[in-house]
Amino acid sequence: MGSLLGDWPSFDPHNFSQLRPADPTAQPSKLTPVTYHPIHNRTIPPPNQVITTESKNILLRQFYQKSEEQLRPKTKRAASESLMPEHSCKQPRGLNSDV
Amino acid sequence: MSVWNYVVTAHKPTNVTHSCVGNFTAPNQLNLIIAKCTRIEIHLLTPHGLQPMLDVPIYGRIATLELFRPHNEAQDFLFIATQRYKFCVLQWDAESSDLITRAVGDVSDRIGRPTDNGQIGIIDPDCRLIGLHLYDGLFKVIPFDNKGQLKETFNIRLEELQVLDIKFLYGCSKPTIGVLYQDNKDARHVKTYEVSLKDKDFVEGPWSQSNLDNGAGLLIPVPLPLGGVIIIGEETIVYCSATAFKAIPIRPSIIRAYGRVDADGSRYLLSDHTGLLHLLVIIHEKERVTGLKIENLGETSVASTISYLDNAVVYVGSSYGDSQLIKLNLQPDAKGSYVEVLDKYVNLGPITDFCVVDLERQGQGQVVTCSGAYKDGSLRVVRNGIGINEQAAVELEGIKGLWSLKSSTDDPHDTFLVVSFITETRFLAMNMEDELEETEIEGFDAQTQTLYCQNAINDQLVQVTSNAVRLVSSTSRELLDQWNAPAGFSVNVATANASQVLLATGGGNLVYIEIRESKLVEVKHIQLEYEISCLDINPIGENSTHSSLAAVGMWTDISVRIFSLPGLELLKKENLGGEIIPRSVLLCAFEGVPYLLCALGDGHLFSFQLNISNGALGDRKKVSLGTQPISLRTFSSKDTTHVFAASDRPTVIYSSNKKLLYSNVNLKEVSHMCPFNTAAFPDSLAIAKEGELSIGTIDDIQKLHIRTIPLGEHARRICHQEKTRTFAICTLRAASTEDMETHFVRLLDDQSFDIISTYALDAYEYGCCVLSCSFAEDSNAYYCVGTAYVLPEENEPSKGRILIFAVEDGKLQLLAEKETKGAVYRLNSFNGKLLAAINQKIQLYKWVAREDGSHELQSECGHHGHILALYVQTRGDFIVVGDLMKSISLLVYKHEEGAIEELARDYNANWMTAVEILDDDVYLGAENNFNLFTVRKNSDAATDEERGRLEVIGEFHLGEFVNCFRHGSLVMRLPDSDTGAIIPTVIFGTVNGVIGIVASLPHDQYLFLEKLQLHLVKVIKGVGGLSHEQWRSFNNEKKTVDARNFLDGDLIESFLDLSRVKMEEVSKTMGVPVEELCKRVEELTRLH
Repeated sequence: MGSLLGDWPSFDPHNFSQLRPADPTAQPSKLTPVTYHPIHNRTIPPPNQVITTESKNILLRQFYQKSEEQLRPKTKRAASESLMPEHSCKQPRGLNSDV
Repeated sequence: MSVWNYVVTAHKPTNVTHSCVGNFTAPNQLNLIIAKCTRIEIHLLTPHGLQPMLDVPIYGRIATLELFRPHNEAQDFLFIATQRYKFCVLQWDAESSDLITRAVGDVSDRIGRPTDNGQIGIIDPDCRLIGLHLYDGLFKVIPFDNKGQLKETFNIRLEELQVLDIKFLYGCSKPTIGVLYQDNKDARHVKTYEVSLKDKDFVEGPWSQSNLDNGAGLLIPVPLPLGGVIIIGEETIVYCSATAFKAIPIRPSIIRAYGRVDADGSRYLLSDHTGLLHLLVIIHEKERVTGLKIENLGETSVASTISYLDNAVVYVGSSYGDSQLIKLNLQPDAKGSYVEVLDKYVNLGPITDFCVVDLERQGQGQVVTCSGAYKDGSLRVVRNGIGINEQAAVELEGIKGLWSLKSSTDDPHDTFLVVSFITETRFLAMNMEDELEETEIEGFDAQTQTLYCQNAINDQLVQVTSNAVRLVSSTSRELLDQWNAPAGFSVNVATANASQVLLATGGGNLVYIEIRESKLVEVKHIQLEYEISCLDINPIGENSTHSSLAAVGMWTDISVRIFSLPGLELLKKENLGGEIIPRSVLLCAFEGVPYLLCALGDGHLFSFQLNISNGALGDRKKVSLGTQPISLRTFSSKDTTHVFAASDRPTVIYSSNKKLLYSNVNLKEVSHMCPFNTAAFPDSLAIAKEGELSIGTIDDIQKLHIRTIPLGEHARRICHQEKTRTFAICTLRAASTEDMETHFVRLLDDQSFDIISTYALDAYEYGCCVLSCSFAEDSNAYYCVGTAYVLPEENEPSKGRILIFAVEDGKLQLLAEKETKGAVYRLNSFNGKLLAAINQKIQLYKWVAREDGSHELQSECGHHGHILALYVQTRGDFIVVGDLMKSISLLVYKHEEGAIEELARDYNANWMTAVEILDDDVYLGAENNFNLFTVRKNSDAATDEERGRLEVIGEFHLGEFVNCFRHGSLVMRLPDSDTGAIIPTVIFGTVNGVIGIVASLPHDQYLFLEKLQLHLVKVIKGVGGLSHEQWRSFNNEKKTVDARNFLDGDLIESFLDLSRVKMEEVSKTMGVPVEELCKRVEELTRLH
């Protein structure tokens, strides 16, 4: 058990070093930090950081994506597909030549 | 008419729903950030523990709280998403200590079914996107660009409809999520998906795992180098990744909270539903996981969130009990626990029921709540003001003054108590048996009234009487020197500190005397134009034995003046106005800010900020503390100075965050007070009340006091009985062996809160409600308990009981019982009879005497037509019913016909959580979308149709789930200073532990405050740019409409926290002076 329990991570060894446990029979304490009321103007984000959801319907988006793929000339795609192995085997050479 | 309502929080939410740890306020500072539903708290980790920094109200119920570190940033940002589909990203600006909004957004969709299992919000560990699961079948992505800016969000279709958890996986080249879901055969699986930001779609992920634990509910992503996820089930824990699968069995438990300990993800803290804390360890050889191990560490509150802080200290946030700060020890304690509780933080949530009682019979309400759940259940006594706990008392009539004296300057304790009467002075001292007995101080004059007494420098004592000032050695008690009043003059008022005496004789003569070694030296004498009514020279500068200022209150011109010492030069004269003379002045410093306090003969108090160097007075404020003359005195508690204002309504004046606060003391009338710190009564106060001198200790100085009575079981209903001075509560306790709960009715003494009697209910029988009442023709007090038999095979209970108990010799005696055809959700005393809400029916019972003298309940009449009549309030012959899903309806009892009929109803489909009657015509409701609303009876309407409709007249989003309303008040209510009317208030209690007030205001006051709220919204902005108007708008599945006829008291009262400049800004746009605004808002703060 000791091996599992030891070696607790430490960010700053001073943290909690002087904390003494409260009397266990004492009533729970109430931490009362100051309440924050922003009165500055920086609660408004930069103009391009007001984020909205894209208006395009998820289904329409997929239709368009699919139709775009279909609209591409078939021969060209076939060509590119057929070229792929050659291309990929060319690539390392290209990379090597770069080096 | 109670149409215009003001809603304000008396006790903020304490239910901790989320927590996270990171470097938020500075790169080298470690912060704990806690969410309490509608608020966040920022704490700093220090050598002394958690240091609270800020309490931040959020205009929304927090659904997600996450810290993250965008690329190229030195410290963390905070992401908050609210349940109403808003989000914001906050950054801390250390320079101005402000929270700055980096981004805001709306992530709602017009169509979509909100998820059943709550909202999920997660951030990719490599900060490429934020993922949200808000609606079934949709995963929303908020992408980051390469500069860390957020971009337009988009939805991805998620095939899994019943999602239990989603987490981002660590160390994936493309952002990858793990989805824990349930299929349509109720089997649970995990699937992974890569998020393709370019195609805005999912790509099948690196692995999946089907057929997991049927209770699997939590995913824990494991950081690199291990990667993968831990899947927490109810009977197994599984580690799963593309390359490894390890599983271990666990004792059946429900684990909903976890906290990662090590950055490499090898250890995790888990808390189960019984509050047991476990350590889960991933055993690994380098990057290869070889197994899992789980160890029980000990018990804490049932955790809703766990955050490992630093150096073996862990924060345990709880929804069901007090949150805790714990330390993980290397060695177990005597009970085998590795957990040491360092501190605990009060949590009232969930408040399931409460009652308002005046236990001390002082005209001030206290709230006793049923708080917490399961093993963390408790009663909490919530009281406004400060309590004096009497330790000793003697009868003494006619006390005119009280002072304590030490026998030497170095003595930490007081020895003497000087008690002054009109014709004599008595000296009391603690004897060896720690009893107060009369003694003598030889050099003092015991034959006359003492005006002032004081320990002076060089082990001397000073006594001022009407004819002399006497300087006495505190060791020999012999007279050292004496100053005599001039012939024909007597001293009227006097004050002193350790080295100075200031006194006034008739004719406006002001005499300043300095105390030297064995000598009194008259240094200065001036004559003022009027008589002097009060004086003070309490040292508030750097020198604690000497004051450079004197405060003097005057008759005739009703002014208070500041003089310099020793020259007695007038620095400042402030006219108080009015005709009431100042009766007590005090120079004092709170939190390093010097003040002049000046109390009048009519219970009003002026406060000024004082400039010590030139005597200038600023920030004049006037408050009413009581109706009788006030005398002011400082005292110390926990090394902080406070002021005690003795009057017919004794008050402690203290300062918090540089704001003066006034707190009632639980005593009826105090004429004089002085601190009295002895070995037997440390840190005590001596208090002169009518005919009595008492010594007592004082509570911690804070506005609301909460006393916890742990029950170890879950209290659901509470009721107080004045006649027998008892409480009855309905509780439940989980049996340790089986999966069964046992329910009890318990009787508690209302002073000691000891359980004095218990009645165990039958198997499967739940206590649903408890009422204290008496009946027509039987004035004995009874407890009536309504129950339900909750059988596993029934959808709704079909059987219940009404039990009538009497308290005899401190025991619950069952006198009568009546079987019912359903759950008895509510019992009300009604026209000397008993009104019960039983499933869909309202039923009236008579209490009928049998021939043998015993009684029985006899059904008289009823009313059908509800889905479930859950909440009932009555007034006269009227019955207001809150239905499970059919909002509020109004019934009337017709005596002649012996029948209950429906008069009107609200036709909206509100799912009710509580109802209350505000007045004859207006009823208040709370519903399960966290809204409040009011409806009005239209008895004057022309048509039957209109008369049969309860008109909705007020709507407001409270953001809290209200469980209970009760008429009453947490404070001693004095008539409003202007109108003489008392504003009626209703108290509410919520799941998050909020205690709040709904106050029904006069129309003109409402209009004034509505205008103020409108102006304040422009000055006090919503944190994260969230809109106040949207937050408070009434919102449910069907509609969202602007709030009306309810005001947000929390916003309005924050006016008092504004700087003077901002107050003036509001005052200018309002066209109302700042003082007037302060006065009117301060009056509102005294409602709670």
